[in-house]
Amino acid sequence: MAEVNATDGWEPKIIAIVCNWCTYAGADLAGISRIQYPPNVRIVRLPCTGRINPFYVMKALQEGADGVLVSGCHPGECHYLTGNYHARRKFAMLKRYLSYVGLEEDRANFTWCSASEGERFAKVIKGVTEKVRALGPAKKFVKTL
Amino acid sequence: MENVEKKIREEAKKLLADKKVDVVVGYERGTLPLTATPVFITEPDDADKLVYDATCVQNLAKYVHDILSAHKEAQKKVKPEDRKKKVVGVVARGCATRSIVIHLQERQYGREDVVILGVPCNGYIDPKKMGIALAGEEALDGSIAGDSITVKTSAGDKKFSLNDVLADNCLTCRFNNPVISDIMAGENAPAKAADKEYEKVEAFEKLSTDERWAYFTKEMSKCIRCYACRNACPSCYCKICFVEQTMPQFVGLSADQTDTQIFQLLRTFHMVGRCVDCGSCISVCPMGVDLRNFLKKLDKDALELFENRAGAKMEDVPPLSTYKEHDWEEFIYNP
Repeated sequence: MAEVNATDGWEPKIIAIVCNWCTYAGADLAGISRIQYPPNVRIVRLPCTGRINPFYVMKALQEGADGVLVSGCHPGECHYLTGNYHARRKFAMLKRYLSYVGLEEDRANFTWCSASEGERFAKVIKGVTEKVRALGPAKKFVKTL
Repeated sequence: MENVEKKIREEAKKLLADKKVDVVVGYERGTLPLTATPVFITEPDDADKLVYDATCVQNLAKYVHDILSAHKEAQKKVKPEDRKKKVVGVVARGCATRSIVIHLQERQYGREDVVILGVPCNGYIDPKKMGIALAGEEALDGSIAGDSITVKTSAGDKKFSLNDVLADNCLTCRFNNPVISDIMAGENAPAKAADKEYEKVEAFEKLSTDERWAYFTKEMSKCIRCYACRNACPSCYCKICFVEQTMPQFVGLSADQTDTQIFQLLRTFHMVGRCVDCGSCISVCPMGVDLRNFLKKLDKDALELFENRAGAKMEDVPPLSTYKEHDWEEFIYNP
């Protein structure tokens, strides 16, 4: 993570772990509709938010991500019916736990974004990028060895 | 407590003699004064070895799972018509029965595979607190009578109240009596100060982010990653633990601090709705890492958000394997 230490010209690096059916399609729509959003985000596509292991979020932060975004279908709209409801429980616990141990609250973000919400996707990315930019480079929980 | 011991021995003897169980897991006197160690009794005559008092530390549900899963594996190599059943009897206090409830909820074995010899519990002695109370002296002999404990050391006898050396989790225990049992040895024990169980967590929540992180890193820097906590935990029974997993490798092998931190973060996070606060991990920790502060937070959150207390009731569903339509979602980012 070469850019982590250089605050000048530093750009936040955000890992977005998204579900295949809603948010990934939403990101696609944002692209097709030529909506501009910050290029700080790296998208990882998984079948469903229920498939996202909370470990992925912690691991991404450890490996040098400045922020993580998890996004899936709105509650009630899951392709697998209940995946996002289960995910919501897991990530509610995770978010509170990470801030309890002392990580900045805005490093881990969770949202819903459907396939038709290209606009919202761009807004989310903008918002998260700004939040993470305000925090500065991740220092606490980053592997340096 | 003598009556409880007598009853355990009687019942264990009876269970073994009637061949209702193949083995009884309990505690026997340890080799050092004021200690007890797990024992596996298979002969009725050996049942007199069993003891139960404040020196019994480990959560025995761990062994129930170990024995039954090893047996299940071994039976796979036997022809179906020759397969045998194994029934484990276990001396279990509140926390151990909660662990058994968790195993049952997670379908690790059947209710008929285990015979629970419930014991009331007044808490166990934390060896680390004991070391502090003895100020470095070695205990040569000791006895517990009612609420006080007398320890013989080379610097003379020391007498103090049992409450001074009980483990933290025992002092604020909510379930010191078995939640399920087949046979109950003795009357229910008096309740503990359960209303104070989250006091420390609440105080910790009030600290600033940096103070909390400083405490977390300080505690985790003690950890030598011996994985004793995982090995002692009754809820840690995965055949392949994420620690040993290499694809993907969650826990790196370097000496980097974050590798230790991520091990602890991930292991504790696996305990959502599964930690019964038995203190086994803390008692086996050679470095005295304050794991309870973090485990208790997960317990508190699971209670606040999902009204769940791990292993409290057989009918409960583990909190992360169910959901409600209107679960708490204030954390969802809405631009």
